[in-house]
Amino acid sequence: MKADTALAVSGVRVSFPDGRHERVVLDRLDLEIAAGELVVVSGQSGAGKSTLLAVAGLLRRPDSGEVTIAGISARGLSQRQRTALRRDHIAFVYQSANLLPSLTAIEQLELVGHIHRERSTEARRRALALLDEIDMADRADQLPSQLSGGERQRVGIARALMATPSVLIADEPTASLDPARAEVVTNLLAAAATKHAIATLVVAHDTIALDRANRHLILDAGRLREVGS
Amino acid sequence: MFLALRDLRRGARRFMLLGVVIALVAVLSTVLSGLATGLVTDGISGLRALPFEHLAFQRGADATFSRSTLRPAALEKFEALSGVEATEVGSSFVNAASMDGGPSLDLALFGLSADSFLVERPEARAALADTPGLVLASELRDEGVEVGDRYSLGGSNLVLPVVGFTFAGTYGHAPIAFTSLATWQQIQFGSGADGRYSAIALRGGSNDALDAAASATETDVLTKEAAFGGSPGYTAETTTMSLIRGFLLVISALVIGAFFTVLTVQRTRQIGLLKAMGASNGYVLRDGIGQMAILVSAATLGGVAIGCALVLAVGRTKAPVELNVASVATVALSLIVAGVGGSLVAFRRVTQIEPAIALGVEP
Repeated sequence: MKADTALAVSGVRVSFPDGRHERVVLDRLDLEIAAGELVVVSGQSGAGKSTLLAVAGLLRRPDSGEVTIAGISARGLSQRQRTALRRDHIAFVYQSANLLPSLTAIEQLELVGHIHRERSTEARRRALALLDEIDMADRADQLPSQLSGGERQRVGIARALMATPSVLIADEPTASLDPARAEVVTNLLAAAATKHAIATLVVAHDTIALDRANRHLILDAGRLREVGS
Repeated sequence: MFLALRDLRRGARRFMLLGVVIALVAVLSTVLSGLATGLVTDGISGLRALPFEHLAFQRGADATFSRSTLRPAALEKFEALSGVEATEVGSSFVNAASMDGGPSLDLALFGLSADSFLVERPEARAALADTPGLVLASELRDEGVEVGDRYSLGGSNLVLPVVGFTFAGTYGHAPIAFTSLATWQQIQFGSGADGRYSAIALRGGSNDALDAAASATETDVLTKEAAFGGSPGYTAETTTMSLIRGFLLVISALVIGAFFTVLTVQRTRQIGLLKAMGASNGYVLRDGIGQMAILVSAATLGGVAIGCALVLAVGRTKAPVELNVASVATVALSLIVAGVGGSLVAFRRVTQIEPAIALGVEP
C-alpha cells in the first residue's frame, strides 16, 4: 500500500444466498485510492457497485478481506469502532441527495457538526463557508422541498465535505440530473477531491464523470478492471 | 436533539394526532384524579379534620363505626396509658327531618364529649355542653338550614335545634353533624345506652403501648389513614379510580409505543442515513426518545391544564371533584414516564437498523 493511500480494499469477498446456491458479488477484489484521487467505477446493473461502496464505506462487513481507511484497518473492529471510524473519515453522496426533509440546507451541514460534537458556532461558520463554496449561501435557509434537484445534490456534497472526510463515496450522484446540472455536480466533486485531498470513489456512467476521473474502473464478475490498462 | 426539535417544529402536523390522543388521555386522567380526590374528600374529610392519630374499634369491626360498640372500661385502659389522650366517639348515620319546613338531611352524626380533645374551639365546647343541639357542617347553610331550625332524628323521638355551623366536612358522603355524646347515645340506644359508644379516638403514645392496650381491651387500633377504609364506599371508590388511572397509563404507553414504532419504521432510511453519517445508536435513540419526551410532555401539560379547567368548572357545582396539586402532578409525571417508557419498545428496532440501508443496499 502506498503512503498516500486513503482507501484500500484488499481481497474482499462478498456473497449473497441465491436459492440453494451462493452468488458471489465481489470476489477477492482489490482497490487502492490515494488522497486527492477521483476514481470512477462503472458496471452493469447488478454487478455489485453499491455493495462495493457499502463495503468501502464500512456500511457492510465483507465475508473476507480487509478495508483500510486512512491507514486504519477496519478488520476486527467492533460495530461502535466502525461507526466512529466512519464518522471521522468517511462521507457519502447519494443518488437522490438523501437530505432530511425537516432541515434547511445549512442545518443539513450543521447536523454533521452536531454528530461530530463540534461547537455549534464553529459548525455554523464552516457550514456557511461550504455553502458559499458551492454557491448555495443564498439558499442556506431553504428546506429540501424548496430546492431543485441540482441544488439538493450540491447541498448533499457540501454535507459530505462538512465531515472533513479522508474518503468520499458517491453513488451515482448525477443519475437524476440533466446534463448541465450533472456537470456542475461532477465538477464540484472533482474540485473537492483535489482541494481537500479526499480519496473519492464514485459509481457513475456518464461521460462527464469519466472525463473528470483520474482512473476509470469497471466492475465485472466481482473484480475491478481498469479501463485503458 | 438537533434533528428532533426541528422535526417537531416543521412536521407538527405529523405529530398532531399523537399529541391530541395524549392530551385527551391527560384530560381524562386529570378529571379522574379530580374525581378521586373529590370522592376521598367527600368520604373522609370530616374524619381527616379531627385531631386524632389512631382510632380503636371493637375487634373485627373493620374500621366501621356502625359495627363497633365499646364500653367505658375500654376507654379507661387507654386513658391509663402514659402520654395518651383518649376520648369516646359515637358515630352513626341518621336522617334528620325538618320540623320547620326546611330540607330533610342525611347526616353522619358524631357524638363527642364537650371536654374531648377532639373539640378544640371554646365555642364548640360550649355548644356541646349546653342543652342538646346539632352543630352542622357549614355547607348545609347553603341548602337553607339556619340556626334555630329544629330537626327530628330518625329512629328516636328526639327533636334537636341547630345551634351552630362549623367546618365539619363529610363522612361516607354525608355531611357531619356534631352533638354531645350523651345525646348521641340517647338517639342510638334510647335510655339503655349504659355508656356505650362506637370507637375511641387516641392521640400520642407509643405503638407498643397502644397495641398492648388493644389486646387487653379486645380492640383494633388503627391509624387515621387505615380508619378511612371504614368509610362507606371508600375502598371501592379509591380502588376503582386507581384501576382506571392505571389502565389509562398502560393505554398511553401502548399508544405511544405503537406510534413510535410506526414512526421508526417510516424513518428507517433516515435512521440508516444518520448512522451512515457516523451517528451512534445512542445518538439516534436520544434524538427519537427525546422527541417523544418533548411531545408527550407538551401534550400532557396541555391536557392537564384543560383537565384542571374542567375540574374547576365542574367543582362549582355539587359534583364531588377537587383539585389536588400533588395528585395532578403525579398524573402528569406518570403519563410522561409511561409515554417515554412506551417509546422504548422501539429501542431494539432502532438499534437493528443497518446504515447500509442509506445506500439502498441489503445489509
